Amino acid sequence: MSSANFTSEQITKMDQIIARYPRSRSAVMPLLHYVQSIFGYVTDEGIEFIGKKLDLATAEVNAVASFYTQYKRKPVGEYHIGICTNTLCAVMGGDAIYSALKDQIGSEHDGVSADGKVSLEHIECNAACDYAPVMMVNWEFYDNQTVESAKEFVEKARTGNPPAPTRGPKKLRTWKENSEVLAGFSDGLANEGISAGKASLLGLSKMKNSGNN
Amino acid sequence: MSDQLTTTTDVTLKIDGFEVTVPKGTLVIRAAEKLGIQIPRFCDHPLLAPAGACRQCLVDISINGRAFPKPQASCTIPVENGMEVKTQLTSTVADKAQKGIMELLLINHPLDCPVCDKGGECPLQNQAMSNGNGQSRYEGVKRTFEKPVAISSQVLLDRERCVLCARCTRFSEQIAGDPFITLNERGALQQVGIYEKEPFDSYYSGNTVQICPVGALTGATYRFRARPFDLVSNPSACEHCASGCAMRTDVRRGKTLRRLAGDDPTVNEEWNCDKGRWAFKYESARNRITTPYIRDESGVLREASWPEALSEAAKLLLNAKSAAVLMGGRATLEDAYGYSKFARIALQTNDIDFRARLNSNEEREFLANARPNATYKDIDDADHVVLISFEPEDESPIVFLRILKAVTKRKLAVTVISPIKSRGTEKLKANFISASAGFELKAIEKVDGLTNRSVILIGERALETEGLLSSVEQLATSKGAKLGWIPRRAGEVAALTAGAIGNLLPGLRPVQDAKARVDVQTVWGINQLPTKTGKSTDEILKDSDVILLGGVDANDISSSAKSQLSNKKIIAMDIRFGTSTEVAHVILPVASVVEKNGTFLDWQGKPRSFESAVESLNRSDVRILSMLADEMKRPINLPTVKAAANEIAQFDKWEKSTSNWHVSGTNTENLNLGPTEAILNSWRLLLDRGSLQEGEDNLAGTARKTIIGLNRTKAEKLNLVEGELVKISADSVSISAPLKIVETEENIVWVPRNSTGAQLVSKFSKPSGIKVSVSKA
Repeated sequence: MSSANFTSEQITKMDQIIARYPRSRSAVMPLLHYVQSIFGYVTDEGIEFIGKKLDLATAEVNAVASFYTQYKRKPVGEYHIGICTNTLCAVMGGDAIYSALKDQIGSEHDGVSADGKVSLEHIECNAACDYAPVMMVNWEFYDNQTVESAKEFVEKARTGNPPAPTRGPKKLRTWKENSEVLAGFSDGLANEGISAGKASLLGLSKMKNSGNN
Repeated sequence: MSDQLTTTTDVTLKIDGFEVTVPKGTLVIRAAEKLGIQIPRFCDHPLLAPAGACRQCLVDISINGRAFPKPQASCTIPVENGMEVKTQLTSTVADKAQKGIMELLLINHPLDCPVCDKGGECPLQNQAMSNGNGQSRYEGVKRTFEKPVAISSQVLLDRERCVLCARCTRFSEQIAGDPFITLNERGALQQVGIYEKEPFDSYYSGNTVQICPVGALTGATYRFRARPFDLVSNPSACEHCASGCAMRTDVRRGKTLRRLAGDDPTVNEEWNCDKGRWAFKYESARNRITTPYIRDESGVLREASWPEALSEAAKLLLNAKSAAVLMGGRATLEDAYGYSKFARIALQTNDIDFRARLNSNEEREFLANARPNATYKDIDDADHVVLISFEPEDESPIVFLRILKAVTKRKLAVTVISPIKSRGTEKLKANFISASAGFELKAIEKVDGLTNRSVILIGERALETEGLLSSVEQLATSKGAKLGWIPRRAGEVAALTAGAIGNLLPGLRPVQDAKARVDVQTVWGINQLPTKTGKSTDEILKDSDVILLGGVDANDISSSAKSQLSNKKIIAMDIRFGTSTEVAHVILPVASVVEKNGTFLDWQGKPRSFESAVESLNRSDVRILSMLADEMKRPINLPTVKAAANEIAQFDKWEKSTSNWHVSGTNTENLNLGPTEAILNSWRLLLDRGSLQEGEDNLAGTARKTIIGLNRTKAEKLNLVEGELVKISADSVSISAPLKIVETEENIVWVPRNSTGAQLVSKFSKPSGIKVSVSKA
């Protein structure tokens, strides 16, 4: 695959990613995120170009891309919603939210709404059981969701005005924008908003109040 | 304890109560093998890095009384002093763990053994019987996949049978350097696969079929052809190249159904290439010659009886003004010896040459006087390997694997002098020196870092540059480096040893040396041998009037060879109809490799003996030569292969050689290239139009495509774009193929030598070193 699918600016950025590592093949994962930031998903062009860049067989790059569910091999929405359906979130309402959104969006797992704005998948634990049930959008946290709040999110997202995450940055960024962050290019928003919420710190504050520290 | 550690690198441990001492670093599963204790396993393979993927080999381990909290995979744990291992034989925990793993592995396995190629020789089937529960508790629906998936034209994948041991993917990555198959997806969907657009076109892909411990990978050609218990297996040797692979030939009702790599740690380890594995149908092809033929007066071939054909052949040879023998490079040592003795005694001449291919007089001197001494072991131990006019992945694939192994395991330094940077050169991470055929002498000067641990491997193609064989031999001698001469064909080293060449008698004895002749006369019980150095291939084609051809294809020699032969009386001994039988007056059928006993010598000179695998009425060349000699009343007394072998054993090796045979090359020849011209360069790809690959469509499907290779600058200057059809022409003939940009010098154009649409030897005056013009097709 030639470099024709990528601008020289994009190629420079890929070279920056590769330069971070003593062995170039280590760059395969951020590069896959970077390809997602360009096309919205991992395209064949992207896999072939990464293989060429890193001197890996395309089969090897494809193996990595297919192993991790965060890499998408077909387009997802501008807002990619993940509903945790592991045990705790599921019983706290995750299953109900998932099935409600499925109807609302009109698609199955990993499917995209007809307007291309939102897509849906059920995800495994995102380490936020204290905020169950949890919804992730473009890997930002939406805590303590209900069927109503989730459906409201989808409606607003479709009009281009998604509500802000309950933790993390003040404004939700798009799938592509966040993919670029995952590729290792900071958007400067890492310290925006709260990172550890009340529920996570509850035990700590209890302990402090009990005078046992 | 501390004594042991300071005095030895051995480790002593107990397995099932028995003490065993093994070298440090040995895996528990290997140590158990040493005691004869078999732990069941799928992913473990002694030549692949440990993976611990299948978990079937779980055992209970404690070290100095401290037990691991749960059973451990014995294929990934190295032994330690004080270790106590309990396998399924003495530990109920290990036994239960293994049975549990087996039950899990079988949950999604289709249990379709009765229709599976592997059924009857399947590690999964066998170990499910020996180390599994009789019954599964699973009552759900098994996972299914679309089947089979053709991951190449040769290899088929049935994913539901796979136990995800990763033997195939590890082989491809670690041994072949072709990581085209990988484990994709995850969890319950994990599966072996290729990248959709890139099939598993590795020259070594067949090994994955052989080491697959279940029936997930099968060969397209053998699929559904036989049950293993109906096959008769014979150890054999590969007849394709000079690598010398040990093989196994599996036959059912007189027909070869498959061939597998044999196990010889000093040669091919447990691997072979796809050509050796999958190119064998030629011996049962429709164009096999089954009876003698004589050409009648109207020029038509008619069937003849053996006595008539022999008498006709004898008459032709006895009435010849100048009779000679030309041999192909595929004869066994015994057959080559037969030709050699036949020429000297029955034809009373030294006019014999086994080089029915490109050749030179310098090469003949090199073969007679240089003493190549390199071995596979020397590659294992080398500090530097230099490849000259030799592309091992295409021309001797097991030599390639051996070099690649040293590159992978210990970063062996490799230098390649070749016209273009091939995929093989890239895989070897070699220092690449680009040099066109005819201009390698300058490149050799750039090679440094040679010591007495270095190995220089030179290919048959070196003869195409005058002075190259001489210079390389002198270079090796001056540095004390080991030298290996690697011809392409399996029979060449044997033919040389048998004296099937004009300047040598058996055992590398010079024709011109009286003492050497006496040695031979003594063994043969005769008083006199011809003393004049014999003609070479080209001289025979020019001057001899009656020629005995033994397995010769005129299209391997030159573009004019066939017409030269058609003006002579020809006796052709061959297995199939071809260019030699087209011009023959008498045709005598001979046995193919699977039908006869014999010995090849690999490039190291190591004997590779084999016995016939199928019953046949066809006889080895040496037997027929002996009958023909009898008919001529000039007997050579070699009625059987065994008789020939016994006689060969009576010759010692002749170590003496002259030192002044070297030829100095010119190196400065200026071809005066015009802007649209380039120097033609080529070599034969492993999979191509070679006649022993005829009819193997599945194999041909993985051959590398015919291309015309130029470097980027040259292509731009000529206004040519990668992928477009371009044409090279010379001598008023041309060939065309898609352009590929390759790493090379600007004045070089590279084309495969014998691929579809590019059969250079029979087309151009020379397949390398000539000026050709390049243009859009």
